[in-house]
Amino acid sequence: MVFLLSCLFRLLLWTLLTADLSGVNLAIGVGLALLLPHARGPRQPMAPALRALWRSLIAVPLAYGEALALIGSGDREEESWIERPAGDPRHRLLIFLEVLAITLTPFTIVLGLSNGPRGPHYTIHQLRPRRGKPEEVQP
Amino acid sequence: MSLLFLGAGLALWFWGTWPLLEQRSYLSKLHKLSVSDTLGSGLMLLGLLLRIPSQWPLLALALLGLVVWNTIFGYVLARCSQPAEVNQR
Repeated sequence: MVFLLSCLFRLLLWTLLTADLSGVNLAIGVGLALLLPHARGPRQPMAPALRALWRSLIAVPLAYGEALALIGSGDREEESWIERPAGDPRHRLLIFLEVLAITLTPFTIVLGLSNGPRGPHYTIHQLRPRRGKPEEVQP
Repeated sequence: MSLLFLGAGLALWFWGTWPLLEQRSYLSKLHKLSVSDTLGSGLMLLGLLLRIPSQWPLLALALLGLVVWNTIFGYVLARCSQPAEVNQR
């Protein structure tokens, strides 16, 4: 299933690049999509990858909201390091999409993926607008 | 409408790029740069899409490439900024 998805994605890129929907061009695209090397490894489950893809798409409007929040906060921001549970590190597509969804939003950037006693988790750097009133500066 | 998108993208560009010249942490600069790089440029491409809709396949490809490339490049820069022991845990 992931193989099919990968071929369809390659075909999409090919048709966008060539902007030509003629039969010959589509046949060349299908040929290229099949012939270009495919990733090897364990079988990749579809359901978690599709959920991660959905979260990546949702992250786009969320990113604009977070950007507006950062702009509105002025310089009143706080930095923190947080951890968030990650998907199975063997599933490369899932990890790629999760990292994309987290890093796309301006509040968070993934710094790494670790395997701890509580399972795999991302180390994330967070920059958020500071809550509450701004600190008063003493003269 | 396209001018609105182009102008908003330009505003995000300046807002996100200006912190590079300030005394801030590296990661804080990266957060703000992602606003200008990815989101600002995305708005500009949407503006161009409204202005020259006949070129939509290339602009859509550029938009897709921009979102994926910029975001993953930001992740690579952030990860490379960490000490080796953090990356190898």
